[in-house]
Amino acid sequence: MPFPNVRLSNRPLHFIYLCDCSGSMAAQGKMQALNQAIRQSLPGMAEVARQNPEARVLVRAVRFADQAAWHLAEPTPVQQLHWRDLEAGGITAMGAALELVAGALQSPPMEERALPPVLVLISDGQPTDDFEAGLAQLMRLPWAQKAVRLAIAMGHDADLDVLQQFIGPEPAGRGRSPRRPLQASNATTLAQYIQWASTAVVGAASMPASRVVMPGERPAATTPPSGSNIPLPDLPPTLLDPIDDVGPLVW
Amino acid sequence: MTWLLPEGGTLQFKGLDQPLRILRGLGGGTQGQVFAVELGAPGSGEQLALKWYFPSCIARDPELRARLRQSIGLGAPNGDFLWPLALLEPQEAQPAGFGYLMALRPDGFVGAHLHAGGSLEISLQNVLKACFHLAEGFHQLHLKGLCYKDISLGNLFLEPGSGRILICDNDNVDIDGQGQGSVLGTPGFMAPEVLLGQARPGAASDLFSLAVLLFRLLSRHDPFRGARELAIRCLDEPARRRLYGEEALFIFDPVDAGNRPDPVEHSAALITWPIYPRSLQQLFEQSFGIGLRQPERRTLTGQWKQALARCLDQRQLCPHCGQETFLDPDAERHCWSCGGALPKPIQLQLPHGRVVAAAGNELQPHHVDALAGEAIDQPLALLVPHPSDPSLLGLRNLSQHTWQGQLSNGQQIALEPGRTCNLAPLQRLDSHAGAILVIRP
Repeated sequence: MPFPNVRLSNRPLHFIYLCDCSGSMAAQGKMQALNQAIRQSLPGMAEVARQNPEARVLVRAVRFADQAAWHLAEPTPVQQLHWRDLEAGGITAMGAALELVAGALQSPPMEERALPPVLVLISDGQPTDDFEAGLAQLMRLPWAQKAVRLAIAMGHDADLDVLQQFIGPEPAGRGRSPRRPLQASNATTLAQYIQWASTAVVGAASMPASRVVMPGERPAATTPPSGSNIPLPDLPPTLLDPIDDVGPLVW
Repeated sequence: MTWLLPEGGTLQFKGLDQPLRILRGLGGGTQGQVFAVELGAPGSGEQLALKWYFPSCIARDPELRARLRQSIGLGAPNGDFLWPLALLEPQEAQPAGFGYLMALRPDGFVGAHLHAGGSLEISLQNVLKACFHLAEGFHQLHLKGLCYKDISLGNLFLEPGSGRILICDNDNVDIDGQGQGSVLGTPGFMAPEVLLGQARPGAASDLFSLAVLLFRLLSRHDPFRGARELAIRCLDEPARRRLYGEEALFIFDPVDAGNRPDPVEHSAALITWPIYPRSLQQLFEQSFGIGLRQPERRTLTGQWKQALARCLDQRQLCPHCGQETFLDPDAERHCWSCGGALPKPIQLQLPHGRVVAAAGNELQPHHVDALAGEAIDQPLALLVPHPSDPSLLGLRNLSQHTWQGQLSNGQQIALEPGRTCNLAPLQRLDSHAGAILVIRP
């Protein structure tokens, strides 16, 4: 006779893409690259969801250009998700996109109990609306404060300061960190970051992974670094543009 | 996925007299990537698995190489470990880093998380067998003076049709109390003293993680997720530290009912816990009660083995619904599944054990030999239904010796290896190892 048909109760994990669809995304195939990167990442994301008995991974997406709108409004189980292509055209209403997400993270519609949401903001330029107001509205919500917030800068024209504000306080030191905007200056790197966010980060937010201490560090801290309630996984080894992550170019 | 080693490529490694062909990438994790490789002539060489580490993993774990060498030298505790076989360092500067060879995971083994997630068809008997093998694996590991440090659902694989297991990711294994390996464990499985930073992982914390893993396999639920979990809105790291560390309380704590399962949210625990006999439940109460703060009071691997083996011996099929039950056959009992009264079963009395006569149950060497430790991988006999009339139950001789049976009318029969005798007229069976008496209620 089979084991009784029961399972560990699970919690929803809301994963929301915020995608810049401004006119500049039409240049150099950036829009197509983003569509491809997200579409290609879905099987891996579905596998992580399948392997994880503790989470129900639900995906949504916001597009922002002249205004912000839900591209994928229904929280969709990743196994059932078919990615419709985003199209570029317009300006960069990033603040409005944050307000839209704020509406989704209020309870209700947000469930009473959940795993930390994951928000991924992807942009290639500067916000043209009131970004500060949108961010303030978002960050008033407890679920936004608890969320894992990541940002991917496409190309070298993205406003890194704005993306850093979305993520939170900048970590000390220099170099690549998940708590800094991730610079994707080519399609391969973009795909690697999208894959990382949709698999490794989803895994970390839903099912705890093995913990390690650095050599010389006291093990006292299984506490993640301040400003974060989820320890983020290592970034993937990527093909870096030599001028990515070197810091400001001119000052 | 971007692979660290070239798929289809051939690489030379120090100490290997033959080149190694990288057949394909199998998967990647936070530490590195695993490849299927072939050693020797293409097409006819030995197929193995190669784990190759990320530079970041090597950098944060300076003792990794020495630890792997040590494990390779000591050898696997038993066949249930996918143990490192050889350390591989490239002859050339590229690729940088190192890895190790191990056996490929055979087909048919699936990740234990599938069972915990409820998406695996497996019998209760095979779950109990998997638990026994897990306790046995840790028993052998600890007897060698080693500790594992990071056991969780993520590094255990099951074969649902047999209950066999494989323990993977053995690269944190170290001599207990030695070394400063970087791993601390996996939240949800870590012992409270490790989670709270008061101790390094070792054999004592392994015993806690083992108890959690056994509970998750047997219940498809978590030992600490009860009422206190429902009070948590966002289940993040600080919340987990309270749930599994600072405020940890077993959901079935016999004294403190402050964290009982919720009938709706935690129904799995409420359905599965009554399946198991008190003797097994008490081992969990011990590890998750007093053993929570006093590592030396945790249930030992030998105790788990004994209780799990006893559980398998007590397996009885419910005559009303067919479900597997495991309660003490000498007590008044009801089926956990349908609620029907369970009749007293026929039992087989052996010199050192008593086994309920139910199809699928096995007689083991430790039932006849007081000196043999509990083991279930080489049974002496198996209870099987008749192939065309399942209402007839028989005992199959799995040994290499002919046994002598005595029937209730005094007639003697010979039971040759591989043959099965009908239990209905059988009074006793003299095996090469000892007598088997049929006890009828």
